[in-house]
Amino acid sequence: MRRRWTPSRIIAYILLVGYAVLSLVPFVWAFLVSVTPMSYVNEKGERVGVDIMQWPPRISIFKWPPRVFGAPGTLSNYVKVFQVVPFARWTLNTILYAGLTTLGHLLFDTLGGYAFARLRFPGKNLIFTLFLATMMIPMHVTVIPVYNLMVKYNLVNTYLGLFLPKLTGVFGLFLMRQFFLSIPTELEEAAMIDGAGFIRRFFQIVLPVSKPALAALAIYTFLGTWNDFFWPLLITSDKSMFTLTMGLNFFRTSYYTFWQLMMSATLLMTVPMLIVFLSFQRYFVESGAITGMKG
Amino acid sequence: MRRRVREALVGYLFSAPIIIAILAFTIVPVFQALYYSFTDYDALLQQKYNYIFNPEFSLQDYLVVLLDEEKPSLQELLERFDPVDFIEYTFGFELDNKQKEILKNYFLSEKLLKDFLDRKLNKDMRLKDFMARYLKTGKRYFTVYRPHIIGFENFKKLFKDRYFWIALKNSAVFSLVVTPIQTFLALILAIAANQKIRGVKFFKTTFFIPSITSSAAISMIFLLLYTKPGLINRLLGVFGVPPVDWLGNTKTALPAIMAMNIWTTAGYFMVTFLAGLQNIPSSIIEASEIDGAKGWTRFWKIILPLLKPQIIFVVTLGIIGTLQVFDQIYFLIRSQENITVSMYIYQNAFSYGKMGYASAIALIFFLIIFTVTFIQRKIMKEERFW
Repeated sequence: MRRRWTPSRIIAYILLVGYAVLSLVPFVWAFLVSVTPMSYVNEKGERVGVDIMQWPPRISIFKWPPRVFGAPGTLSNYVKVFQVVPFARWTLNTILYAGLTTLGHLLFDTLGGYAFARLRFPGKNLIFTLFLATMMIPMHVTVIPVYNLMVKYNLVNTYLGLFLPKLTGVFGLFLMRQFFLSIPTELEEAAMIDGAGFIRRFFQIVLPVSKPALAALAIYTFLGTWNDFFWPLLITSDKSMFTLTMGLNFFRTSYYTFWQLMMSATLLMTVPMLIVFLSFQRYFVESGAITGMKG
Repeated sequence: MRRRVREALVGYLFSAPIIIAILAFTIVPVFQALYYSFTDYDALLQQKYNYIFNPEFSLQDYLVVLLDEEKPSLQELLERFDPVDFIEYTFGFELDNKQKEILKNYFLSEKLLKDFLDRKLNKDMRLKDFMARYLKTGKRYFTVYRPHIIGFENFKKLFKDRYFWIALKNSAVFSLVVTPIQTFLALILAIAANQKIRGVKFFKTTFFIPSITSSAAISMIFLLLYTKPGLINRLLGVFGVPPVDWLGNTKTALPAIMAMNIWTTAGYFMVTFLAGLQNIPSSIIEASEIDGAKGWTRFWKIILPLLKPQIIFVVTLGIIGTLQVFDQIYFLIRSQENITVSMYIYQNAFSYGKMGYASAIALIFFLIIFTVTFIQRKIMKEERFW
């Protein structure tokens, strides 16, 4: 079928291309700044500073190394980030925070989701309604008492304090419950006739067919926690316990902002999630069911 | 029968972790927050029983005695010593009546002053350990911080608090501006992408990228873009717009963050709308074409009603998300004139330590969000999502 160039389709293309450019330009700009040296030695042998605010940005890819803002491009800022701040430690903290939180959700949301989808126990509906109600409560209401709880048990500035309140959640529970409700019960019934108990039924029959839902849950939790700022802001004050979102602010002082380092650090924390997103795209873009991790 | 008991046991076992977690980190805290909001809970005072002091120095100071040079008699010191006065003088905070009563009746002044004269007190001690040692009974009144119940004082204060109203106004404006624009933009982009376009997947992916980037990272990038000599002013300069210090000016700071927020979420919601559009059977569109419905008529009469579930979903998430916006405000807002409610709650609770007052604001804010969402749902006559 030939697609005709009707006016409405031309307008559609202009809109889409325009918005795609708009979506990407901030990242491209951040990249340009991140590969610009703070200063460099020119042909006359003088050390000169680089103005990253100059216009036009004087990019040339026909020289080696390519020129940005008139200066030879460099990747040294990405190395420097690890030298001037404990960036490796922050990365480790973030991986631990996001990783352990994801594990917690995978385990507890799934177990809970299965219980609420399949098993009969007294009080189930009441508890479920109560859970539904808690979803409406904004975190600002609960965060102060939860923070005080952490203070009481000396969990401020500890890994346990960081991920303990995050290990499970109602959102993931609903997600898994909906999924379990959607899979046919025949398999489980067959296993039951063979004499399998509830626990074996869950681990041997249900879990293996739940991989897509588990993957979606894992990706969403990992991404959400990796990007989380509010809880680390409250629970970490010691530099060695910072996560990456906390660390970014470090390149800004009252007197001076280290733009090159800040943009390098920003991209260093963004790119891993971009890779996760691109590799597992179908879980994000296709599943209309799983929206709402981010407002 | 046995099977049903086992099923129930497994059910409790499986759901126990999440029940405990929700109880400990959501349900109990809600009631605690309610309690806090009627008290003068102060996080800084909460720490007061952990103050470290050197009893010998403090006593020498209080009794005006230098042990290196003189050795007064125990009797003489006992006459000059009053425990209530000593604690208030040394730590600078007022004791409540119950604490004064305990000190008057159960404080072991003689034991303390003996230790003082025997030079046993020249070491750092926490106030609560000191109390544990020299109180015959009632030491719990000096180890656990108890805020005072002050009734509706926090709520009264809130109504007169200028910054609360400023924050509330800013949050409302933020939500009222951002939610419709991001919804409309997402809808337009989705309709554009639904015109049998080549590379729809590329556009979807590209538009999605801002929403998977952390708000911290986005804030840092826009901090750069919004500077006075920055990219945005350069591009606007092409159209003859004079440069503006977007984030430094109290008039432009909030609109700048709103624009950033729209940029972050519009592409994300576009994907929701596109999925909805693709579910509309083409026969409906074709039928409407035969009936002569074109352009805007088709948009208003056919497409919008069919997208109603998605629109409700996007608007609901939009309202909740925009009302609670925090990270971007924390990173980019400098003036107290531009703060939002979530920021004001944070400042009160964690910068000023006024946790009672902050809880009162949070509860009022919760009521507001709840009411707004409720009204919005009534207006949009929504079908249930779950």
